[in-house]
Amino acid sequence: MQMNDQDIRIFITMARRYFEALEPQPTLVIEPPFLRDELGPLLEYTGIIPVSGRCQGAVCFTANGGMLETILALLKDERRDDAAKRDLVGEIANTLSGNAREEFGSDFRISVPNVIVGPRLSADLRTGGRNYAIPLNWRSETAYLLVSLK
Amino acid sequence: MKLLIVDDSSVVRLAIERDLENGHIAEVDQAADGEEAVRLYREKLHDVITLDITMPRMDGLTCLENLLKINPEAKILIISALRDRATALIALKRGARGFLCKPINPEELREAFELLLTD
Repeated sequence: MQMNDQDIRIFITMARRYFEALEPQPTLVIEPPFLRDELGPLLEYTGIIPVSGRCQGAVCFTANGGMLETILALLKDERRDDAAKRDLVGEIANTLSGNAREEFGSDFRISVPNVIVGPRLSADLRTGGRNYAIPLNWRSETAYLLVSLK
Repeated sequence: MKLLIVDDSSVVRLAIERDLENGHIAEVDQAADGEEAVRLYREKLHDVITLDITMPRMDGLTCLENLLKINPEAKILIISALRDRATALIALKRGARGFLCKPINPEELREAFELLLTD
């Protein structure tokens, strides 16, 4: 069974909730999701959460370093180095996909994050499912929540 | 008071430490996975533990059981992205004293922490 538009709305809700928790006056604008032939677009940092159980595939959060640095600042984390950005992008992907279990239930099983730097898609991410990209516009930058599940 | 923060994300560990900074805490240790947490806890028997679930090597629910084997009275607060009811119930049934969902709300975290201290 492929993901449908209703399922994708669940991920949009989780993304909105994450950014609302970051700042009292949220400025996130979510554009309509679009379908791609393969998972992407991939920006500078991508946190990948492998999913098994009722769905197989991956949920990813991808962002450029600038946005991650802004989020680190909001979290009062003084680090701006590569390790902190890798850690953060993985944690955001983990939070968004873990929160989705509120709707999908505990058989939506997630693994610990893998993080890639740069637009390199590994072969194991070609899931054969529909590849949704959800653009997240925030403070003049765009990140993407990528959902590829079947 | 000794606090042990267990999470595979250093961003989260630092955020929890900052959110809980107050006069109660004399010593803070951090662990990035369940195995490290069990080793540190056996050594120092912290008063309060915050514990993530999805972690490499040893997940949080297994770690919870191991910590409670060392000390059945351990005060453990789960802080996890896993927002489903079943996971929260399993954690509480196994002996966690509380369950908070990520993203962390600092106010909720401080309240849960104060409750644990007075428990």
